Amino acid sequence: MAISYWRRRDRYYRLLGNRCTQCNSEYYPPAYLCRRCGSESLVDVEMPTTGQILTYTILREVMSGFEGQQPIVIGIVQLDNGVKVLGQIVDTPLDALKIGCRVRLVFRKIRDESNVGQIYYGYKFTALC
Amino acid sequence: MGSNPAMKTPKDAAIAGYGVYIPRYRLPSEEVARIWRGGEEAPLIKKAVAALDEDITTMAVEAARRALKMAEVKELGAIFVGTETKPYAVKPTSTIVAQALAQHKVLASDLEFACKAGTEALQLILALIGSGMIESGLAIGVDTAQGRPGDDLEFTAASAAAAYILSKRDGDSIAVVEGASSYVSDTTDFWRRAGQPYPRHLSRFTGEPAYFHHIQSAVKNLFAEFGYKPSDFKYAVFHQPNPRFPVEVALRLGFNLEQIKPGLLNPYVGNPYAANSLLGLAAVLDEAHVNDLILLCSFGSGAGSDALSIRVLDGVEVKRRKAQNKVMDMLKAAVDIDYATYAKLRGKIVG
Repeated sequence: MAISYWRRRDRYYRLLGNRCTQCNSEYYPPAYLCRRCGSESLVDVEMPTTGQILTYTILREVMSGFEGQQPIVIGIVQLDNGVKVLGQIVDTPLDALKIGCRVRLVFRKIRDESNVGQIYYGYKFTALC
Repeated sequence: MGSNPAMKTPKDAAIAGYGVYIPRYRLPSEEVARIWRGGEEAPLIKKAVAALDEDITTMAVEAARRALKMAEVKELGAIFVGTETKPYAVKPTSTIVAQALAQHKVLASDLEFACKAGTEALQLILALIGSGMIESGLAIGVDTAQGRPGDDLEFTAASAAAAYILSKRDGDSIAVVEGASSYVSDTTDFWRRAGQPYPRHLSRFTGEPAYFHHIQSAVKNLFAEFGYKPSDFKYAVFHQPNPRFPVEVALRLGFNLEQIKPGLLNPYVGNPYAANSLLGLAAVLDEAHVNDLILLCSFGSGAGSDALSIRVLDGVEVKRRKAQNKVMDMLKAAVDIDYATYAKLRGKIVG
């Protein structure tokens, strides 16, 4: 597993962000400094597992390592705490996708490094509409 | 065999929560028959098919998160994943599950015994709690079962996960294992050699000398050791590789169809191997009442069976109301697919 992915695995596996202990602002990915009040006091916190689709796009040509998954739907999801997260939306027919649709976080394979390499896991979303 | 001492199950360890995950897609058996059997009549099964980005790790995590939510347990002492379809031949799935659950101070391991690895995991967690080594543990049965294209197994080989949290018994516990009896022999009915993608089976051996002999032996031993009779049980859940075997073994052992119907999921899910009987148990726990007695009997090729008698406890109704994870709800969310989509999702054709 790439070292950068390994370092961030809790972000990808558990949607682990952080919260400012001064003003309660929440961030994903985690922030080093609260962008609202400037505090450097932030604690780890898991993000909510539900939200709604703000916008999405459909990729019919995909990058290397994602072949076979096309078409891929990438969306911006606003979680129930207001934080916006970029992620893949799966298990949803293209004609059922709608802006405003409720989604739930799921744990999925992101990509395989062929049959001999490593498997990268992480979060995606599935639509509830 | 019946003269051996009974297995002593701990009375202070109980099921605290359970969770299942069944993938959304279903392949009707008529589709397999259309492609490989010239459209001849097929058993009425719709098997659960994992998506392209699902494997036993992702399904185990989904089921485990639901079980943890129901159990309201914060810390686990052990995580065992029973499966025969590990994505890595060397690298544990249980550690990935542990990372995804933020549980690090755990004994973690993967277990293999064909379709009965899930009930093995459950019994080992029970033993660890009963011995006082841990307070709570997670047992998972999960598989993305594959059948060689055109083989009989392709009609049923399915994907799903079932997870159980076991803890020290308290007023919120869901069920307790009253008795257990296991029975094994070297019977090569179904196997997969290392490095091979699909299992092989000796058709004639899968029935009488394997499935029926081991299940009947384990259940009869359980009855002899603990003094049970079929009418003591409100429900019975047998391993269900196809729709016919569990019905036949139930009738042979003196059970009736009413006792097995609530846990008989094969027509709606297929055979998700290590998740099979544990999924049936979850469906039964979804509707059981306090003090009901449940018989659970797994079967794993190679071969062996674990027979367990499980008593439903006071916590079942409150915990069930809190959990949003009924087996029936997952069955209702199913979407039928054709053989071409199945071939893509299971990696039989690659773009």
